[in-house]
Amino acid sequence: MKRLVAVFAAALMILAIAAPAMGQAAARIHLIHGIPDTPVDVYVDDAVVFENFNFGDTQDLSALAGETLVNLQVKLAGTDTVAIEGGDVALPASGNYSIIANLDAAGTPTITVFANDTSAIAAGEGRLQVRHTAAAPAVDVKADGAVAFSNLSNPNEDKADLPAATYSVEVVPTGADEPVVIGPADIAVNDGDSLIVYAVGSLEGETLTVLTETITGLGQTPTEVPSGNSPVESGFPMSAVVGMAIIASLAAAGGLTLARRSN
Amino acid sequence: MKRTSAALALAAALLAAACSSAEPATKPAGPEAAPAATTTTVPVTTTSTTVAPPATTTETVSPLAAQVSPIGSAAYDPAEHSNDAPVPTSISIDEINVANAPVVDVGVEDNGDMELPGAEAVGWYRYNAIPGEDGSSVLSAHISYNGTNGVFRYLSDVEPGDVVTIGYNDGSAGAFEVVEVAQYDKQELPLDRIFDKDGAPVLTLITCGGDFNSSLRSYEDNFVAYAVPIDA
Repeated sequence: MKRLVAVFAAALMILAIAAPAMGQAAARIHLIHGIPDTPVDVYVDDAVVFENFNFGDTQDLSALAGETLVNLQVKLAGTDTVAIEGGDVALPASGNYSIIANLDAAGTPTITVFANDTSAIAAGEGRLQVRHTAAAPAVDVKADGAVAFSNLSNPNEDKADLPAATYSVEVVPTGADEPVVIGPADIAVNDGDSLIVYAVGSLEGETLTVLTETITGLGQTPTEVPSGNSPVESGFPMSAVVGMAIIASLAAAGGLTLARRSN
Repeated sequence: MKRTSAALALAAALLAAACSSAEPATKPAGPEAAPAATTTTVPVTTTSTTVAPPATTTETVSPLAAQVSPIGSAAYDPAEHSNDAPVPTSISIDEINVANAPVVDVGVEDNGDMELPGAEAVGWYRYNAIPGEDGSSVLSAHISYNGTNGVFRYLSDVEPGDVVTIGYNDGSAGAFEVVEVAQYDKQELPLDRIFDKDGAPVLTLITCGGDFNSSLRSYEDNFVAYAVPIDA
């Protein structure tokens, strides 16, 4: 737990430095607890900010964008044991970030900061961002049986815009077909959403699982609804025999009359 | 400290419950959710010195606590990834002689246009709502296709009050009442409204209309009819 202290501080300092210079949009900063079985309390300037922060819980820090967290401390929940001495931490004023407390590849608690891709997604597609934040070797991520992301290692990420659909996803060691260490699980990649999937936990500790978060509203609508390519004046009734032009035209006129609403 | 901790944890839990009720795939948390969200805003907006009454120690709540909010669990929820909701398979609109016309799911063409089936079917845009769900459920059919009348040949005759019936692949049906009709120049089609994913359920029926441009083989306008669910 002690090592978590230094890494947490380092990661947050990186976050502070990474603040976009040109950002005018409001910040979105989420903090995710990705270490199984380690509830904590978070203090700033000797005052509690939130308590009993558990595995899987998420805190929205967006409103603190641009503020400096003075003397950040993370304590084991319900105790005065300081697990993390964060020092003074300046949060970026803008941008879209996810901060996850997770295990590194060797199983040591750490903090990883990810800048989220919020670029526009084409109509009919969704974005899948996969992040290896588990105490496990490099893996391949398979979607519907085919390798979608290969040789992903902690603390890296990979991403792709995919046709919006539900995929059966499984995680296997790089280059192998088995053992399946996570999944198979259905993953719905929705139109216009960015689905972020974190592999978390420990292979050795048998706590491997996934956490997810979704960024919505990145999609686009179709550009046009082309629901007619011939003029109705020459439209044949569906029963018309092609080629009998005159008869068809007369039939069309009759068809129109019959089909129109009577009121 | 313990009592403060317990109180804050409870407040956080209540807030979490209130927030989680906003998740689309989660059932509303019930009547206790809204009051919980209200009450939790009270202590955090007061000063940290006055928030302490239950505490017997000197521990204080950070003023930052008012600006930080739990947003539920990031745990993988299979229900959010299941894909077994009934989808539309037929449509009937008595007033324009549309009787159990087939509905097929469609997506997007490479050029960005909404995909449409041939003359004899209606396309349901699979990336928006299922009819009856929150947001706009978009169904489009041709007015005329390759010289043949399309299913929505007479959509422009639909009037407010007309009933649209959707059949689903589980055998169920849903009724909708037309509440608004409009004709838009295609350059001014309100795409953000038509393809809105949020808000109250609305069935959005679209076809073409207005002048036909022979060189472009395209109409100048779109007819749109908006219908809302009729309470069963």
